[in-house]
Amino acid sequence: MFETARFEGERRLTGSVVVALGLSAFAAMMVLIAPAILDEFDVAALTESFPPALVEAMRLDVIATIEGFMALELYWFGWLLVLGIYVAYNAASAIAGDIDDGTMDTLLAAPVSRWQVLFEKYLSLLVPILVVNVVVLVVVYAGTQLVNEPIAAVDLVAVHALSVPYLLFWGAFGMLASVIAPRRVVAEGVAAGALVATFLVETVADGTDLDWLGLVSPTRYYDPVAILTASDYNYTGAALLLAGTAVLLLASGAWFARRDVQ
Amino acid sequence: MPAIQTHDLTKYYGDVCGVEDLSFSVEEGEVFGFLGPNGAGKTTAIRTLMGFQSPTEGTATVLDADITDTAALRRVRANVGYLPSEPGFDESVTGRRLLDYHGSLRGDVRSDELLELFDPPLDRRVGEYSRGNVQMLAIVMAFMHDPDLLIMDEPTSGLDPLKQEELLEFIRAEQDRGKTFFFSSHILSEVRKVCDRIGIIREGRLVELEDVASLIDRSGKTVRANIGGSVTAAEFEIEGAHDVTVSGGPGSADQASDTATGDDAPEIDGGEETTSVSFTYTGAYEPLLGHLLEYELLDLAIEEAPLEDVFMRFYGDHDAEAVVERVENGTDENGGDEDGGPGEDGHDEAQDAEAETADV
Repeated sequence: MFETARFEGERRLTGSVVVALGLSAFAAMMVLIAPAILDEFDVAALTESFPPALVEAMRLDVIATIEGFMALELYWFGWLLVLGIYVAYNAASAIAGDIDDGTMDTLLAAPVSRWQVLFEKYLSLLVPILVVNVVVLVVVYAGTQLVNEPIAAVDLVAVHALSVPYLLFWGAFGMLASVIAPRRVVAEGVAAGALVATFLVETVADGTDLDWLGLVSPTRYYDPVAILTASDYNYTGAALLLAGTAVLLLASGAWFARRDVQ
Repeated sequence: MPAIQTHDLTKYYGDVCGVEDLSFSVEEGEVFGFLGPNGAGKTTAIRTLMGFQSPTEGTATVLDADITDTAALRRVRANVGYLPSEPGFDESVTGRRLLDYHGSLRGDVRSDELLELFDPPLDRRVGEYSRGNVQMLAIVMAFMHDPDLLIMDEPTSGLDPLKQEELLEFIRAEQDRGKTFFFSSHILSEVRKVCDRIGIIREGRLVELEDVASLIDRSGKTVRANIGGSVTAAEFEIEGAHDVTVSGGPGSADQASDTATGDDAPEIDGGEETTSVSFTYTGAYEPLLGHLLEYELLDLAIEEAPLEDVFMRFYGDHDAEAVVERVENGTDENGGDEDGGPGEDGHDEAQDAEAETADV
């Protein structure tokens, strides 16, 4: 048990560290330039010069604080989009890629069930999710202390912790794409494309008549801006994301168990 | 209990036929060769037996587990070694790491011993491996848990001739230890060396199931005779002669005729010239020699027919059932058979190749 999770997890370690370092560098840069920028921000002028809908959508009203600045510049973009796509993309290639290159045959020739293969491959996605979150959390915490613009540690921990259900959801979505799609590239495209599409839907529809559209967007259930600027932790959203994750994983397993591996 | 038993096993990919109505059994302790050209359905059959894909119709059991019972099949896979035709491995890790991993999944009782025979560079990344090294790694994985049944898809592919020989020798030794082998191949010489029985598959259907010794018996002799004067192919339509080819001497264009229609086989002119006659013969010597002596016999060679020729007889024909019938009766009945004639060989083979690539 867990041999596959361990093997796949080890393989993901290098990529995870690279992504963690990349996002850390980006985070460090944001932290370093934040004090200078925050001093110059004139929020009133900013919100006046843009249409209210755009201000609302881009959450420009909160950008003048270190919390808002980091939430928008790092987490909104880096977590909702970049890390989300990374996880979804990796999940999407997990099964479809192995089938494409024949690795799945060697694996399924062993006395393992497909449910187990799928579940353990999914489990290995915890490596990038945890490595990146822990590393960047430390970097942001230390960095904001260093530039004397501290963010409440509890909020920082929460913004990372609550991103885990969001990322797990996209991992599960990627797994579903991976077992259904006929080829690896299709699975990867569908997974990453769906993430971007739902992200845009939530961003654009937020506060408009089409607000309800955002209900189907996972983006709605993890809001780094609310967590950092208002200490508003959406536990219900996290629970919904985890429930969605479970449903997607069950569907993936059922599909994978029945499909032909060609 | 047979190690593998299939009953009308059928697999379609949409409208495309992979295999159809395959029925055969592989007995415990035997080496069963599964022969056919590329695209004939060998890999489809093997992948269905491994449970990678479910059959469209029919049933099969592997070590008594129904292949549609995933839980039962998973349990028996602990006792099955599988060698894919194109082994795929994660290329970013070393061979050693992969062996550890797969050993942890299926058990490892003899990889050390196997690595003395098949020795891929374990400390290098698999991505740097040659095709032969990949194959050796896959062979070690197929045998490392000492399974009772081995299912191998083109096991010698990618190996250099020396390693091929070692693998075949190893298979024989393993058979002596009581192991059962089911392996596909399109190479007859290797099948002939190790197989007890073979099944020949073509366009998804089993066209022949035979033990190797009697197939070689039935495959008969290749007879080549130089005869003074002119003869027609029809004159050599004696019992037991197949695929009679007649070619004229110098001066006349080579003309080949086979057994399709004895009546209008071309006459060869040229009084003083010699004629070469060659055919495959499956009968006793006396009638053959008796017949030959009716002519002015200038030269005669009789040798064991290469299995390749026998094989070609199965594939050089459009109507698989007619071939089976022909071989089973030990006579050539193509003279009266509407579509049984092999026709011009080159032409037929080209057509077959087309049909078979479409079949993949």
